[in-house]
Amino acid sequence: MTVPLARILLLALLLPISLAANAQGVTVFAAASLTDAMNDIAKAYAARSGAGVRTSYAASSALARQIENGAPADLFFSADDEWMDYLEKRSLIERSTRVARLGNRLVLIAPAGPARRVEIRKGLDLAALLGSGRLATGDPANVPVGRYAQQALTFLGLWPIAEPKLARADNVRFALTYVERGEAPLGIVYSTDAAIARGVQVIGEFPPESHAEISYPMAIVAMHGTDAVKAFHTFLLGSEAATVFKRFGFSVR
Amino acid sequence: MLTEFELQALWLSLKVALRSVAFALPFAVVAAYILARKRFPGKVLFDGVIHLPLALPPVLVGYLLLLTFGIRGPLGGWLYDAFGLRLAFTSVGASIATAVMSFPLMVRAIRLSIEAIDLGLERAAATLGASPLDRLITITLPLMLPGVLSGCVVAFAASLGEFGAVITFVSNIPGETQTLPLAIYAAVQNPDGDAAAARLAALSLVLALSGLIISEVIARRARRMLGGAADE
Amino acid sequence: MTMIDLDIRKRLGDFALDVSFSIPGHGVTALFGRSGAGKTSVIAAIAGLLRPDEGHIRVAGRTLFDARVGADVPIHRRRVGYVFQDGRLFPHLSVRDNLLYGYRRSPLRNRRITMEEVVALLGVAPLLERRPRDLSGGEKQRVAIGRALLAQPEVLLMDEPFASLDAPRKREILPYLERLRDELRLPIVYVSHAIEEVVRLANQVVVLDAGRVAATGTPEQLGERLDLRPLLGEFESGAIIDAQVTAFDSQFELSTLAFEGGVLRVPGRAGDLGALVRVRVRARDVSLALEKPAAISVQNIFAGAVEEVFEDSGAYAELKLRVSGTRFLSRVTRESVSRLGLVLGAQVYLLVKSVSLDHETVSTVPGRANGGLRHGD
Repeated sequence: MTVPLARILLLALLLPISLAANAQGVTVFAAASLTDAMNDIAKAYAARSGAGVRTSYAASSALARQIENGAPADLFFSADDEWMDYLEKRSLIERSTRVARLGNRLVLIAPAGPARRVEIRKGLDLAALLGSGRLATGDPANVPVGRYAQQALTFLGLWPIAEPKLARADNVRFALTYVERGEAPLGIVYSTDAAIARGVQVIGEFPPESHAEISYPMAIVAMHGTDAVKAFHTFLLGSEAATVFKRFGFSVR
Repeated sequence: MLTEFELQALWLSLKVALRSVAFALPFAVVAAYILARKRFPGKVLFDGVIHLPLALPPVLVGYLLLLTFGIRGPLGGWLYDAFGLRLAFTSVGASIATAVMSFPLMVRAIRLSIEAIDLGLERAAATLGASPLDRLITITLPLMLPGVLSGCVVAFAASLGEFGAVITFVSNIPGETQTLPLAIYAAVQNPDGDAAAARLAALSLVLALSGLIISEVIARRARRMLGGAADE
Repeated sequence: MTMIDLDIRKRLGDFALDVSFSIPGHGVTALFGRSGAGKTSVIAAIAGLLRPDEGHIRVAGRTLFDARVGADVPIHRRRVGYVFQDGRLFPHLSVRDNLLYGYRRSPLRNRRITMEEVVALLGVAPLLERRPRDLSGGEKQRVAIGRALLAQPEVLLMDEPFASLDAPRKREILPYLERLRDELRLPIVYVSHAIEEVVRLANQVVVLDAGRVAATGTPEQLGERLDLRPLLGEFESGAIIDAQVTAFDSQFELSTLAFEGGVLRVPGRAGDLGALVRVRVRARDVSLALEKPAAISVQNIFAGAVEEVFEDSGAYAELKLRVSGTRFLSRVTRESVSRLGLVLGAQVYLLVKSVSLDHETVSTVPGRANGGLRHGD
């Protein structure tokens, strides 16, 4: 038993080293909701330029903390402005490279089943929809999707009903999983996440004015502006990347 | 001295960890006994499965729990249909997650104490007229008590600190599933949460340390009671 | 009645056990032999701790094991008391609870031996509230014996209970064993490789060698079997003489013991007047002379005849000598045999120093068994 354990520990130790050692490639820290789109883009970029792209996906907050503590990221793609601001305030990104690249929408989802729709408006009977179940979304304390959900529900006057019933997921993908597995009868996620999940259906869209604009800013990490990184930054702004982002449901700015 | 939020997290952590130990203990004793005493084909596999939570990423364990004990999982579905019991998003579910994660540690401690028992003592009990079950209750169980105690303490401490499996299986709900490590995590994730995180971390530290010290005292006393040397 | 009827075969790796004997009535039977001869395996099989491949084991008419009919009584229902070499007291229980462990599990109708009896017999009253770890080696063994007795066994098996004890401890416990033998009338099977213990305690001896029975008989019979010498290795040969205390000289502290063929004078009080005692006269303590010596310190001088001469390849020879109805053994150099012309039938005088007959070699007589020991076929 000690051998596999030791091997895992060894791998864990070596992982950051191998990331750092890859000076030629580009390392991207991206919000979890960008996982599928970024994977496709990285593949396309590698096919075209021959340069490798390494990716690390997690909650934007976790990634920002890691970058603050010297993680070897070249490019940060956040799911909200707040954590990008956090890094910018500390001069940890190249301010001139910050671009609000993508937009997204907030949707209400339910487990797959007979199609149904609800109109999301003030006075929606959320309590009846939830029953004894919980409303899965990101933790409003620290996960962007949760914060947007809180804004939207507050705007609609539903927050007092929703707050005690939240299932606060560590990131948006787990909120999606809770609904997919039927643990939660409802969830609030990005439309992009809902689009790729097979086990859920979108039953309503939140009006755009109910929450702050969902913006995905990206920027090059301070002192990491090598030519290779800049080239990939430019690629992300190009039309080929835009096509991929759109395919996954993002709005491109 | 402590805020209501901190007290809530502290109380919940203790509750989840205690219940987790209670859940795991009977299974751990049986598993440890089998590993220490029985020989059968596939024992290596059995050993491996029990130790799996040590080697798997906690988040994966949490995900597997969700698949198994979730409302659409084989066990979770049955629990819900039969007893109306839901585990996801509940503190009972949190206890199950920590029980699974700390299970190998508990088994290990108990197994060592069983292996240390002189088999001759049980043979002697047999010649004195004690049936196998009688021997188990009057000889083996009392003699493995120090191992059971230290196994419980180690599992309790590990449960207090378990994060990944808990947050994945039961999410992070204040008052229901937000134990100390989850509260620390939430605080750290907040751009202004450093001070709150530091207080919670100090609380965890004090808790873990006092738990380990108390356990050592109990273990010493148990060893002395059982007639072994007090300082080994 | 046959107490133990045993006929078993068992393969243990390279070692093959093939033992068969039957023990009549009560009394002490010694399983004697070198270490590795299979002694412990035999009593382990009786207790059910070792399962034979073939054969049967019957104790007091009850079949405990019979391979042919698939009988195999579980250990805890065999009613055999087992005193282990290392005591094996339960460390988490007090001495009292150790003693009562088997007693509490014995059916009421079987309870013949009481706690009071055992406490008195073994002198463990001051130990009752202690924990095993606070006992000396000798005390531990006494408690272990008491614990086995209180389980109300039909036979007591003892596996070298004194192997781990030094000589003074052994001397402390041997009298307790003699009392067990004489007062409880419980059959005892005793494993030993110490001839002094065997002679002192046993009514019958089964000699084991390499997993087989090499000889059976009373200690007297085996003591005279010169051919067993090489087999028994550490066996310190000697004659065993049963005698009666007829006088005690308090001025010189000497006891007079009468036996068939004369009287022996031994130091100290060997027993009450009229008591039966057993004296072991070691072969090396018997000197031989062709004429009766006068003006000599030796107190015990007997006239006898050479019955058998056994010369090994070394410097020594052993002779069996008859003094009236009693046999003695003598160990002298081969050179002496040749010089004195000690051949079959030669008339000699036997000289035995009183000093050589101390408390190690004089003991009370074991209770007589009903009849002799039969070697099974």
